[in-house]
Amino acid sequence: MDIEIQLGPGSSAAKVSLASGEILTAEGGSMIAMSNDMSLTTTTYKKKKGGVLKALKRMISGESFFMNHYEPGPNGGDVFLATALPGDMMTMELNGQGLVVQGGSYVASSHDIEIDFSWQGLKSAFSGEGLFWLNINGTGKIVVNSFGAIYPIEVDGDYIVDTGHIVAFDETLDFTITKAGKSWISSMLGGEGLVCKFKGKGTVWCQSHNETSFGQVVGPKLRARK
Amino acid sequence: MELQETQDKAGFEFKFEGKPDYGYVTVKIPAGETLKVEASAMATMDTNLSMKTKFKGGFSRLFQGESLFINEFTAQNAPAEIGIAPAAPGDIDHVYLDNEAIFLQSSAFVASGMDVKAETKFQGLVKGFFSGENLFLIKCSGVGNLWFNSYGGIIEIDVNDGYVVDTGHIVAFTEGLEYNVTSVGGYKSLFFSGEGLVCKFSGQGKVWIQTRKVNPLAWWVHPFRRSRKNN
Repeated sequence: MDIEIQLGPGSSAAKVSLASGEILTAEGGSMIAMSNDMSLTTTTYKKKKGGVLKALKRMISGESFFMNHYEPGPNGGDVFLATALPGDMMTMELNGQGLVVQGGSYVASSHDIEIDFSWQGLKSAFSGEGLFWLNINGTGKIVVNSFGAIYPIEVDGDYIVDTGHIVAFDETLDFTITKAGKSWISSMLGGEGLVCKFKGKGTVWCQSHNETSFGQVVGPKLRARK
Repeated sequence: MELQETQDKAGFEFKFEGKPDYGYVTVKIPAGETLKVEASAMATMDTNLSMKTKFKGGFSRLFQGESLFINEFTAQNAPAEIGIAPAAPGDIDHVYLDNEAIFLQSSAFVASGMDVKAETKFQGLVKGFFSGENLFLIKCSGVGNLWFNSYGGIIEIDVNDGYVVDTGHIVAFTEGLEYNVTSVGGYKSLFFSGEGLVCKFSGQGKVWIQTRKVNPLAWWVHPFRRSRKNN
């Protein structure tokens, strides 16, 4: 499986080249073009393997209930994937290590990758940021997307990232959800709200922009909805 | 300004900048020659360019989501440069038509040479309606330069053995390709895949696709609007 990110960081699309026999699993609605003989199967979890509970949990994380599985014909084929909002995409390779991905950032993965709802993410469920996470495990490739550009931060010790700027992070990192300032009043008035305080050693991938903030900039300029 | 980028076939010199997010094009029009430009797309120009507004394509252009007018810019006495920027931020691309034809999505036309004929083509109710796009395509044929644009990036795909493209992501395709609007996968995929309907191209040619669409952006912003209070 070969994944090439094109036209990043603003208009990115992922070109996934599949050899015969390889299966790509992708979020619903992300395919923009594909080879003619690519076959598409829609299930709640894996190809030939349902999982309603897993699908429900994934849906809570802001992903779609159904997953699409793309399998090429005998000569292989390509699938182009893109997202709705402007932003970048990134490919990550997993060799058994785990990854936590922000719910809306998951795009696609090779079929052997396990995707599950992260109970850890529940810590932040009541934060008002609507933050839910997915646990990604296994061996293979995964594609994530961001609003704006993606940049990595190597954490060794402590580091603070605004909850709205997290794309993914290594499972080795421990975290707590906390307020940005010393007091709740300054955190809220300062507009920083809640942050994620990471502990340990690992990488956090951040997005340069926060889509909720952008929505709050644009929304009030539009005529009120009924 | 130095215009370095030229294409292989005969045509006006031009240069792209800002691709793929903020693409715009600067074209050098030789003395006495004329360029057709989508109305309101001119951003900068030399003073020796004279502009004439033409009503092209007739009544059907009203339905295309395209502005009704095309402006013609003629270089008087000496060569002149014109900077052209499409309305939506995104990518811009170019083909040189050599007695060939290309179909553009109705809002994709940016500019062309005088010998490129741009006409609206009715897609047919089924294709047009289900594609979720406009009922009309613009057919550009003849000889000369053609520039087109899209919101989002543009990716060119060589079609040898058919290709499947999400209906809303088609920017352009070459004449000779056949297409059908259909669904992908089985019955379950039809309802649950989130992929909606696709265009199945067959034959040989080229398809240009766009990596973003305007509608999902608009839908995404919607919940951020203030809600109107009912008194």
